[in-house]
Amino acid sequence: MEAPPDPAPLAAPAPAPLRAPEVARLREEQEKVVTSCRERIQHWQKVDDDYSALQERLSVLPDRLSYNIMVPFGPFAFMPGKLVHTNEVTVLLGDNWFAKCSAKQAVGLVQHRRGHVRKTVDDLKKVMRNFESRVEFTEDLQKMSDAAGDIVDIREEIKSGFEFKAKHRIAHKPHSKPKTSDIFEADFADDIKSKDLLADQELWARLEDLERQEELLGELDSKPDTVIANGEDTGSSEEREDPGGSVDTARPGPEAAAPSCRLGDATSSELRRGQEGSLSSASVNGSHSCRSREDDDGDSDGSEDDESVLDALGAGDCSVPTIYFSHTVEPKRVRINTGKNTTLKFSEKKEEAKRKRKNSCGGGHPAPELPTIRTPADIYRVFVDLVNGEYVPRKSILKSRSRENSVCSDTSESSAADFEERRGLLRSLSCEDACSDPCDSILEEGLPPASGAPEAFSGTVIEKELSPCLTPHPAAAHPALPAIPERKELVSEASDAVKRVSKFKAARLQQRN
Amino acid sequence: MEMPFREARPEDCAGLVPPDDSAAHKEDLSSKIKEQKIVVDELSNLKKNRKVYRQQQNSNIFFLADRTEMLSESKNTLDELKKEYQEIENSEKTKIKK
Repeated sequence: MEAPPDPAPLAAPAPAPLRAPEVARLREEQEKVVTSCRERIQHWQKVDDDYSALQERLSVLPDRLSYNIMVPFGPFAFMPGKLVHTNEVTVLLGDNWFAKCSAKQAVGLVQHRRGHVRKTVDDLKKVMRNFESRVEFTEDLQKMSDAAGDIVDIREEIKSGFEFKAKHRIAHKPHSKPKTSDIFEADFADDIKSKDLLADQELWARLEDLERQEELLGELDSKPDTVIANGEDTGSSEEREDPGGSVDTARPGPEAAAPSCRLGDATSSELRRGQEGSLSSASVNGSHSCRSREDDDGDSDGSEDDESVLDALGAGDCSVPTIYFSHTVEPKRVRINTGKNTTLKFSEKKEEAKRKRKNSCGGGHPAPELPTIRTPADIYRVFVDLVNGEYVPRKSILKSRSRENSVCSDTSESSAADFEERRGLLRSLSCEDACSDPCDSILEEGLPPASGAPEAFSGTVIEKELSPCLTPHPAAAHPALPAIPERKELVSEASDAVKRVSKFKAARLQQRN
Repeated sequence: MEMPFREARPEDCAGLVPPDDSAAHKEDLSSKIKEQKIVVDELSNLKKNRKVYRQQQNSNIFFLADRTEMLSESKNTLDELKKEYQEIENSEKTKIKK
C-alpha cells in the first residue's frame, strides 16, 4: 500500500527522457510493490483461514457437553483434560478487553471479522493487479526505448519547448488584467485605511482628472438639473457601496463612528492646515449642517447665532453629508498625491461643499444651536476649530448629525462654535447662497431616500454638483445628514475616490460587488 | 493408557497457494505430500487402543479424535495433494511441449 505513491511520480518523468536506468529503476519499484502486496495477501489469507477453522470449531463445539482434549502446559507440555462449558466463550475485543458470550455469538463475531479480512485481501489484490499492469507498461516502455529511443526523445523536446512558451504568454496576459481590476475592487470594499494604502497615486490622479471633467461639465449644465442629478447619483452610489448595515451602524453607534472620524480628522488635520483657507469654509458648512439638525430637534443654545448666519447665507445649499465625505477623503488624497494641484482641488471642493452646507442650513432652518450634546463630538469640533477649524468641524458635524438623529441635540455646542467660524466663511460665500433657493427644495426631496448607507458617496457627488450649483438645498441636509455623517467620515477617505469616479465607475463597482 | 497423539494439521489441505510461482508451489506441494504420507503410515500402524488427537488450528489445544476417521481423512488429503501435484506437472509438460 505504501509503495504505490512512489512509483507513480517515478513513472511521470520516465517517459520524457526514456533513459534505460531510470526505467529499470521504475520497474524495480513497481515489482517491489507487487511482491509486498503478494506477501500481505498471503498473510491475510492465512488469517482468514484461521478464522474459518475457528468458526467451524465454534459451530460444532456446543454439540457436546464435554470434549476430551490435551491441555497445553506451555508450548511443549500437555496433559489430558476435559473441555466443559462448551457454550461459553470469552472473545478478545482488543486492548486486553474480553467479552463473555455464547458460541453462536462468537460465530457471528468471527463472521464479521472474516468480512473485514476479505475486504482487505480484495483491496490488496486490486493494488497488486494495478501494479502488475504498470510493470507491464514499464516493460513495454523499456523495450521501446531500447529499440529506438533517441529519435523519440528529440521530437518530444522540441514540442515541449514550444508549448511552454506559448502557454506562459497566453496565461499571463489574461490573468494580469483581471487581477488588477479585482484588486481595486477589493480595496474599495475594504476599510478606508487599507484603501488608502493600496490606492496608487496614479489612480488618484486619474480620479481627480475625471472629477475635474465632471465638474466642468456640471458647471456648464443648468444648475438645478445638475444638482438634482448629482444628489441622486450620490445617493445611489452610497447605497451601492454600503449595501445593508451602513445606516444601521451609523444610527445606533454615533459614538463609535465619531472615533473613526477623529482618527481621520487627525490624519487629515495636517493636510487641512495647509489648506486653511478652504478649511475655514468647510468648517462653517459643517456647523451649518449641525445647526440645521439641531433646529429639527429643537431650538436651544446657539439658535440666535445660527439664525444670523443663516440670514447672511440666505439661500440653502446642497445636502451636508456629501461635503463631509469629500473633506475627509480629500486630505488623505492630498497626502498620498503630495501634488499641489490635487491639494488645491480638494480645497476647492471642500469650500464648495461648505458653502452648500452653509446655504442649506441658513435657508432651510432657523439655526438653533445646542452646545451641550456629547463630549466626544464637542471635543472633535473644538480640536478642529483650534487647528484647522473648518475641516474638523465638518466631521464633527456629521457625527453630531447622526447623534442628533439617534439621540437628539448633543452636538449643538460644537456645532455652534463651528457655525461662528462658518459664518465668516458663509459671508464670503454668500453670493453662492443667494442663487439656489429653489434647488434646495429639490435636493431635499432627492436626498432623504439615500439617507443611511450612501453618505460617503453623496458627499463626493455633492461637491461636484456644488461647484456648478453652489447654494441650493439647505433643507435637504437635515434628513440625509444624520445617517450619513458617521460612515461618511470613516469610509469617506477611501470612498471619495470611488465616489468621484462613481459616475463613470460606480456602475462597474456595483456590478462587481 | 498410552496416548500417543498425532497432529493432523489442516494446513495439509491443498489449493491455498495461488499458482503464481509454479516452482515454489510445486516444492511446497511435494513437501506436503511427503508429510501426509508419513501421517498416513503412522496412523495405519497405530495399535487399536491408541488415542489420536487433532490440533485446533492456530492454537495449542488438541481435541480427541477417532483413529479410523483421522486415517481416512489423512488418506483423502494425501490423494488430493497428489492430484494437484500431478496437474501441475502435466501443465508444465504441456508448456514445454508448446
